[in-house]
Amino acid sequence: MVNQNTPREIDLNRLKEIVSSYEEQRWSLIPLVQAIQEEFGFIPPPAVPVIAGRLKIFPSEVQGVVSFYTQLYTEPRGKNIVRVCRGTACHVRGGKTILKLVKRQLELEENETSEDLEYTLETVACLGVCALSPTMVINNRVYGHMNPKRVKEIFKQKEAQP
Amino acid sequence: MQTVTITLNQKIVSGQAGMTILEIAQDAGLDIPTLCHDPILQPAGACRLCLVENEETGALLASCVTTATPGMVINTNSHRVLQHRRNIVKLMLASHPDACLICDKGNRCRLQQIATELGLGFNELERIPQPAAIEELNPFIVRDTAKCVMCGKCIRACQEIIVEGAIDYYGRGFTTRPATFNDTPLENSECTFCGLCVALCPTGALMEKEKPYLGTTRFSVQSTCSYCGCGCPVKLEIKDNWIVRVTPGGLGSANRGEICMRGSYGFDYIHSPERLTKPLLKVNGELKEASWEEALKAAGEGLKRIKEQYGPDALAVYGSSKCTNEENYLLQKFARTVLETNNVDNGSSLYNLATRVGLRNATGLLSTTNLLEALEEADLILVAGADPTITAPRLGYAIKRAVKNRQAKLILIEPRRTHLTFFAHQWLRPRPGSDPALFNSIIRAVIDESLCRMEYVSRQTEGFPVLVEALDKLLPESTALITGVSAEKTREAARIYARANKSVIVFGSGLTCTVNGAESIKALANLALLTENVWGKGCGIYPALKENNAQGACEMGAIPEYLPGYQPVTEPESRRKFERLWKKKIPSRPGMHVAEALNRGEETPLKAIYVVGENLDSTLNHSKRMIESSSGLEFMIVQDLFFTSTAEHANVVLPAASFAEKEGSYTNFEGRIGWLQQAFPPVGESLPDWEIILRLAEEMGSPLPYSSLQQVIHEIEEFVPLYEGYYHPEEYLEDKWSYWDERRDRAFQVLKGFPRFSAPKDLSPRIPIPEGYPFYLFLEASLAYFGTGTRSSKTWRLKSFYPKKVLKISPEDAERLSFTGGNQVRVMSPYSHLQTAVEISDAIPPGTVSLPTSFPGVAELFGTALGIEKTVPPPEACYVNLERVNPDG
Repeated sequence: MVNQNTPREIDLNRLKEIVSSYEEQRWSLIPLVQAIQEEFGFIPPPAVPVIAGRLKIFPSEVQGVVSFYTQLYTEPRGKNIVRVCRGTACHVRGGKTILKLVKRQLELEENETSEDLEYTLETVACLGVCALSPTMVINNRVYGHMNPKRVKEIFKQKEAQP
Repeated sequence: MQTVTITLNQKIVSGQAGMTILEIAQDAGLDIPTLCHDPILQPAGACRLCLVENEETGALLASCVTTATPGMVINTNSHRVLQHRRNIVKLMLASHPDACLICDKGNRCRLQQIATELGLGFNELERIPQPAAIEELNPFIVRDTAKCVMCGKCIRACQEIIVEGAIDYYGRGFTTRPATFNDTPLENSECTFCGLCVALCPTGALMEKEKPYLGTTRFSVQSTCSYCGCGCPVKLEIKDNWIVRVTPGGLGSANRGEICMRGSYGFDYIHSPERLTKPLLKVNGELKEASWEEALKAAGEGLKRIKEQYGPDALAVYGSSKCTNEENYLLQKFARTVLETNNVDNGSSLYNLATRVGLRNATGLLSTTNLLEALEEADLILVAGADPTITAPRLGYAIKRAVKNRQAKLILIEPRRTHLTFFAHQWLRPRPGSDPALFNSIIRAVIDESLCRMEYVSRQTEGFPVLVEALDKLLPESTALITGVSAEKTREAARIYARANKSVIVFGSGLTCTVNGAESIKALANLALLTENVWGKGCGIYPALKENNAQGACEMGAIPEYLPGYQPVTEPESRRKFERLWKKKIPSRPGMHVAEALNRGEETPLKAIYVVGENLDSTLNHSKRMIESSSGLEFMIVQDLFFTSTAEHANVVLPAASFAEKEGSYTNFEGRIGWLQQAFPPVGESLPDWEIILRLAEEMGSPLPYSSLQQVIHEIEEFVPLYEGYYHPEEYLEDKWSYWDERRDRAFQVLKGFPRFSAPKDLSPRIPIPEGYPFYLFLEASLAYFGTGTRSSKTWRLKSFYPKKVLKISPEDAERLSFTGGNQVRVMSPYSHLQTAVEISDAIPPGTVSLPTSFPGVAELFGTALGIEKTVPPPEACYVNLERVNPDG
């Protein structure tokens, strides 16, 4: 998922617009939080009481649902989502070292987002392209046969892009 | 009802179709361990301890969520079941601290009990470290999620019963735990500290904050909460003549485990060192301890002297809406036969007289016209001038449940944002004092749009043409200017209300304690009659009475115009009935409303007053000045638990026993009777009120013929309508003792015909705004502060949780006056002034400000006005002016 628009401050009016376009029904909750994430890149905490008030569900219940699904985020995420594979095949071929290098390169730990909202670092259990191991994905592009040099090159190229 | 028969541990047992295996097993006397099941909650199947084996298929089933099907062969204790059960408990213990020795839950811990039963102690599993306890600053609840077994009882209780939703699951997998929104401590969350989660928690994860820790209790007594009009059954857990804790009292339709902050945590005033333990007698202008003999002699002589000198009507009894039915019965009998006057009143008159007057024509009774569970069947609930979540929490829970579980619509008519606003479908904010105008324009819209149930109106009510004629002159558009609610919104509310199949009206002191209170109630009753929403399931009118026995005190005749059971004292027939019984003549002239009589200050016709369990000084606005200055009042007896500010002016002070130290009954606002059981003897030399009344009557030379409370109860059973055979202290929680049909029949007897519409006296009454005082002052009630604070101020938990001492002001007004939060201001009314800090709040509309009821001296800002039918002084609408203190400093 690429988000061109990931400000930390959210536009409350836009949020209210989205929320009021959903019906006052319990079942609106999941589609509504997905729509909010689509718009803002994450579910901003101030959105929770607004959602709760519209759907007549308690804020704690909304929080319960948001915190349950790993695909729902409560923190802003980077423009580029980097996912390093921790699958068995990648592990055997040095995936652990690749992760270490990416962490060092981005100065991020797992599930962290950089200050400038440029990068978010995550790991995945398997990407299903074990033939290319060790692998990583940036946004929707897969990078195979990773090695320390390629890590450096890839991020250098990324930074050079406007 | 269909039955289902299954084989349970080789025995054939049967139950009703739809029952779970667990329910059938429990009925058969089998004990299946469970941590997450409770009959008041929806089953969740969370803990898996109630596993049973289906012997035919070999399946292991969680019996709490498995419906029994005919012919099932179930074993609850097979080798396999036990093995699995042990493993589950072992896993729970592996992530549970080994802190049993120092855990306050002690022997009450279900997990410990089950582990012991299964023979489990330390086990071989690797331990899972758990997070540390959460630091809570509130005085009620301690949370330690390390001890949580994720049974979800607290979450279900909070969402299903209390409908507060303060907590829910947070996170997923091993890290899941119950948490508040934003994971804040409870005191910063929506939590109302009702204590139900604590009562249900099977482990030490949720516990009362105890101070000091008192250990395991040995026994408990069933009792009735002594605070609001809900009258919830409670269980008092006792150790060494000391109440250690209070829990929801038993199951029955009277209560499904509902309780509130006051019920759970407001009990320790009983053990306050400030309790009166000896009678006091005024000697040379000073109150000194005396013996009962001396005190009663002085009291009796004082009353006799005044009676001889000025006649019986110079005497009055001011009874209590907190005393039992039996005590109120004795009090009015004392007034009518010993003092020989009808001057008997009770504290609830100050706020429910408007209800009595307003409902007189429509329902005949001062009570709800239905039970609380019937409210939950409604399609629409109209709440006006009330925040039942504070004043009568169980009523609030029922409203929230109806909205949340049955999608009932809620119309909220209230200028301020309350806890119910979140649930409201429509929120109307009339200007203070304009309620009758708003209600009348709603009625007008219902009539105009032909939404009345004409068949009912024309056949079973009276006075409809008069109402139509009176409302003919009402102009919705100009009314809208007065109320501040647009004509369109008013019409919409009318449509929603009238089109709903079954509607309920709830109102409270936001209406009854205003000058136009009776007019508002009349209008609401008219609205209910027009749409045939007075009696029947899912319909009704619910006045939210404030005190636990306001209903009972009035029904026992502790009011000036009625003998017990609403039998008018002016009717010779009803007088004769009691004259034969009491063998005394009853005065035929209705008595004075005592509060009104006292309010006349120096011109009061009263010379002596016997005050039982009320603090006149703070209930009556201005009364402080009145009592202090009143040269008219020569003699006063005060009977109370504490040395109240009224007692300071008394000639004789008599120490009374608390609800836990005596027996008797209370009648809640639905007309349900709750019983008290004596938990321990009264403190010091204090005595139950009924015993004091009997001794005082004897002292005065006209003994009342009772040697025990039982004899009083028998007399009430025989002679008071609605109380025939009411003595069922053991089984009062069961539905059969709710007397509902009798109550409705009695209402029609009192009405002597069909319900009648009451034409409004004034179509758009307004409260004049005094010049120079532009802000309307609201008083904001809170859960922790009750009534005049006599009891809550002696309860450490409640006292430490009083709302902040601030003046709330709307953001618009704050901006206009350039106030910022924290500014010191002087709040001035025509009568008094006080100084406080400002808090900006969007909960109140512009043009108004609000102070908590617990604010010291706030009552003195209010004047008194003669309100309803010129009888009782309701608090006059209070307008104030604000002034910054040291704007430069």
